Amino acid sequence: MQTSSISQRRRALLLAAGASLIAPLAHAQAGEDIVIGGSIPMTGVFAFAGVGINSGIADYVKIVNDGGGIKGRKLRYVPEDTGYKVDVSVAAFKKITSQNKVNLYYGDSTAFSRTINPELERTGNIMMTGASFATELNDPVKYPNQFLVGPDYTEMFGILLRHIAKEKPGAKVAFVYSDSEFGRDPIDTSEALAKKLGLTVPVKIMTAPGSVDVSTEVIKLRRAAPDYTIFHGYILAPIPEFITQGKQMGMTSKWMGTFWTMDSSTVMKMGEAGDGFMGVMPYRYYYDTSAKAPMLDKIRQLHPDYQSTAYIQGFLAAMLFTEAAKRTLDAGKELNGKNFKAALNSIKDFDTGGLIGVPITIKGNSIPVGRVYKADMKAQKMVPASDWIAL
Amino acid sequence: MRIGTLKETYTADAALFDSRTQHVWLAVGTALLLLFPFMASDYWLYLACLVSINVASATGLNILTGYTGLVSLGQAAFMGLGAYTVAILEIRVGSPFLLNLLAGGFVAMAGGLIVGIPSLRVKGLYLAIATIAASFIAHFLFANTAFTGGTAGLTLPPASLFGVVLDTSFRLYWIIVPVTLLMLLGAANLFRTRVGRAFIAIRDRDISAEVLGIALLRYKLLSFGLSSFYAGVAGGLWAYFFRVVTPESFPLSMSIFFLAAIIVGGMGSILGGILGAIFMTMVPELLKLGAGLLPGGSELTVFLSPVRTVVFGLLIIGFLVFEPHGLAEVWRRIRRFFHLWPFRN
Repeated sequence: MQTSSISQRRRALLLAAGASLIAPLAHAQAGEDIVIGGSIPMTGVFAFAGVGINSGIADYVKIVNDGGGIKGRKLRYVPEDTGYKVDVSVAAFKKITSQNKVNLYYGDSTAFSRTINPELERTGNIMMTGASFATELNDPVKYPNQFLVGPDYTEMFGILLRHIAKEKPGAKVAFVYSDSEFGRDPIDTSEALAKKLGLTVPVKIMTAPGSVDVSTEVIKLRRAAPDYTIFHGYILAPIPEFITQGKQMGMTSKWMGTFWTMDSSTVMKMGEAGDGFMGVMPYRYYYDTSAKAPMLDKIRQLHPDYQSTAYIQGFLAAMLFTEAAKRTLDAGKELNGKNFKAALNSIKDFDTGGLIGVPITIKGNSIPVGRVYKADMKAQKMVPASDWIAL
Repeated sequence: MRIGTLKETYTADAALFDSRTQHVWLAVGTALLLLFPFMASDYWLYLACLVSINVASATGLNILTGYTGLVSLGQAAFMGLGAYTVAILEIRVGSPFLLNLLAGGFVAMAGGLIVGIPSLRVKGLYLAIATIAASFIAHFLFANTAFTGGTAGLTLPPASLFGVVLDTSFRLYWIIVPVTLLMLLGAANLFRTRVGRAFIAIRDRDISAEVLGIALLRYKLLSFGLSSFYAGVAGGLWAYFFRVVTPESFPLSMSIFFLAAIIVGGMGSILGGILGAIFMTMVPELLKLGAGLLPGGSELTVFLSPVRTVVFGLLIIGFLVFEPHGLAEVWRRIRRFFHLWPFRN
């Protein structure tokens, strides 16, 4: 009797001890945060975008957490400033991943995405996106754990060229681009696409990034007399100089740009030269009320002042991270890069709450959708110049 | 207190480490370096490797600028030459990585010898401008040659040694740190030889050096060559560390970084190059860690990021104003204090 009572007491104690050991583990499993790390350029040459990206991700994370998280799990956003330097970005990645169990990550540049890719593949725990729209990253075989929050640069050109081919069949399109990886990215493939669409590319002009004196190049451009000129690989300079001098020389070309030039505040800095400037934008602008967009309404509630397109990009990145995590958890799968990516690729006709004007489907590494917007200097706004174009 | 350091032979007098205290500290340092990878997280290991690479390159620049008095802003370009050589050999030839590192060093050395030619006619700022040209020429070649992968650059597979793939900071630490230590030892010994002393003589007064029988052409070019060799090997290590080499990986600002490192650390001192490279690499990270301890989350990060950059800049200015001889002099003063303690402090 005595022995049995001791044995029962022992068993009860063992069970209690076991339960006390397992309980926190089980709790941790159920309530473990989903961590979004970020190498964010809050200083340096890309800070103009980094601050917006940071704010966009942080806001969406707050919205999700205020709504109870993802299946009871909170999102936790851990950003680090990188100054837009690759070695610092990698240090930030190592620091964040050493201190947290990171599931999702936002990187600040093409160089960082390429540098960290072997590490992503080696560990297999993280899915990543970032500020880069480099065509090279739009390769699910080479970059299986990464995706782009929009079309890649070649697809951006594709959207512009399709718009041009529809507006003026057989038009002459000039490409002006910077002598950098960013600038050269879509040029050769886009020239081939232009030909395919029945357009001609009479001239391709490469300049130094951010160059100021472009008078020789403008003369070259004027000689080619293009109907459209697409700038790529710049933020602002030397685009206003090209347009001002081109207009002074009697050029009638329409001027166009790609994502990083197209923020409203950047285009408005062009002043008079920027009136009628067009370009591709994968997202609706902050002030675009042309259609129902509950997410934009929410952003406007959070921030009564203008939020940049970089903010929208960060916000959408966090939204897609969340959706991928939610789908992975719903499927009862382990939270790792491969499963996140599979979940992301299962997204079909997904409503972004109006951030993108049409439902999106993510087949590979990019979201090949965009719209052509045009600068209205009087209203100090970008206004739609086309419908949404999906490639 | 340090007393009775009696030297009975010239060899003992010229020894790099001449006291028992130094030997003890050397042993402690070696033990810490050996234990570090087993105690540190991936983040600290990454930083240790990065610091090592920067120390190697800064030491190279110190040989040229600190010891020979030839100002160069081409260090990043020479690192680029080394990195591209390593990447091309690794991808196209598949030769052993230690051989690739040496090849990287020698190719950069050849580049350095060419760039060093104007040093016979120009000095100071003029020479610095001439070396900037090297950066632009190198960038142009890297960006416009199919061999170097154009603007997209090259992505190389990880190095491997005896079948062990060196794909983590932990594994690379065992290569990068010893190679750097070897290079430091080489540099420290260099200045105990005729060649090193000739460099110093040229720095102090080149005309007098020539009168003393030092061939300026030979030694100035040799200094450029050695400095570039260091940069090339550091660039090779950099290539294996990051495994992506693009023309934008080695900008002019990187050369300025190394020049700032040896100025802050102390020109003409091996320890100065080490301390300067550690300072320039680690202080921004330490400031970040300090800022991270403050409550406030990502909003505070946004606010503190530019503040941190300003503080870093102020620290550099502070060192230049209050200790123009650099961190090495601060270290020497600390040592002197303990040498004389407790009789004078």
